[in-house]
Amino acid sequence: MKVRVDSERCQGHTLCAMIAPEIFELRDVDGHSCVVQEDVPADQEAQVIEAVNSCPERAISVD
Amino acid sequence: MGADDVVTDDDRKQNRYHFDRHAPEYRGRFEAITEEMHEKCPIAWTETYGGHWVAAGNREVFELARSADRVSNDHDVKGERRGYQGISIPPPERGKGSTGGFLEMDPPAQRYYRQALNPYLSPAAINRWIPVIDELVRACLDEKIESGRIDFVDDLANVVPAVLTLGMMGIPMKDWVVYNEPVHAAVYTRPNTPEAERVAEMHKEMGRHLVGQFFEIQQNPRPGLIDEIARIKIDGETPPFEDQVGALGLIIGGGFDTTTALTAHALEWLSENPEERARLSRERDTLLNSATEEFLRFYTPAPGDGRTISADCEIAGTAFREGERLWLSWAMANRDATVFPEPNTIDLARKNNRHSSFGIGIHRCIGSNVARTVFKRMLLQVLDRMPDYRCDPEGAVHYDTIGVINGMRKLPATFTPGERLGAGLDETIERMQRVCDEQRLAEPVTVRKAQAKID
Repeated sequence: MKVRVDSERCQGHTLCAMIAPEIFELRDVDGHSCVVQEDVPADQEAQVIEAVNSCPERAISVD
Repeated sequence: MGADDVVTDDDRKQNRYHFDRHAPEYRGRFEAITEEMHEKCPIAWTETYGGHWVAAGNREVFELARSADRVSNDHDVKGERRGYQGISIPPPERGKGSTGGFLEMDPPAQRYYRQALNPYLSPAAINRWIPVIDELVRACLDEKIESGRIDFVDDLANVVPAVLTLGMMGIPMKDWVVYNEPVHAAVYTRPNTPEAERVAEMHKEMGRHLVGQFFEIQQNPRPGLIDEIARIKIDGETPPFEDQVGALGLIIGGGFDTTTALTAHALEWLSENPEERARLSRERDTLLNSATEEFLRFYTPAPGDGRTISADCEIAGTAFREGERLWLSWAMANRDATVFPEPNTIDLARKNNRHSSFGIGIHRCIGSNVARTVFKRMLLQVLDRMPDYRCDPEGAVHYDTIGVINGMRKLPATFTPGERLGAGLDETIERMQRVCDEQRLAEPVTVRKAQAKID
């Protein structure tokens, strides 16, 4: 599973990093999200799916 | 355009609903009204306040809120553009002629403000303040812990957000009393009453203090949000003074009453559900985040925002005309059963909680990280130090209406008394001011990264 954050859509709600802190990192300056680990380890997949389904801006996608 | 293409107003506005967010009935029948609108008219035209659209459905609110190219926040106070009236429907009497800062602006100017202020308000920036927040909460609880009685609004939830907001702005924290009452009272006081005159007078006093602080900091800079706004350039130019003051008013308005409202409602619910309270305390490591988001969703402290359609367009299946007013209901979007199973039930462990309580799109609440952090730090200390508290339902006072803020005025509670742990509030505020000044805590995170140290 690969995960990406659409930086045009992300508005810094920070939910993804609360749910999957090992995968998403928030920039110090504005709290917008970036992916630290594009390839999602199997034991993180459930959290990443939850992050996808929790993002208020629908900015996270997986394939 | 051919005759066949003409969409009449009656066609466009065939979904009609009498919607008055300022009526007490909207508070009293919120769930029934929400369900009815979701079922019949997730976007409706209402005749109230000169006529405007109301978006209640989650998908509709989401799509409209994300369409900043066709949906404007502009408040054109001086009539220099298209006369749009910002985010309040109707425009408020008090504050006519002043703007709500960058929340009543469109890009690109709005973006300059947010980029300037984000480094003071990001999660990394707020984490630096946690030891200060904890001390303020500790002192508030110490003031009451021996008596076994507290009013969670007056003695805690009104205090900490106000003191912290001033500290972040660069205003002496001890001056919180100048700001606190007018900000809260302005939200819940009925217009045209003697009380409203008193509140208006306090509001003016606060305004004078704020402008005084702005000039003082402009001449003798000290770190904080005011300093940043005093130095801001929009495309190389200093913005009008009114816009700068509007931004300061926005920070105060956003920072005070909202977090208070969230905290009071959550504490009230936890008192009514003591088993859930014990569970939240016990399982805080896994539940605190989801419970916070759930309280945000369910109580939606800022229930909605107005907009103006800035181009003829079709969004979410409705044809809009330039100049029409629109109300985006974050609160109703948060109860949409197609997105939130059992939307009218609080589930502390709720997953996939895509709530819109901080707004959606480019105007997302810039203080959301402050709100969450302050809420969590207050809640945790209450759970630890007053675990058996019971709110008195007779004494609890909710705002009569939820048109602006879904808030509370009073929330008295009793609990088993405990021991004080340290100094009282005034002395603690003084000490925290020294910490703030000496460690330059109000600098942006780009300048100062370390967390506050308290001896």
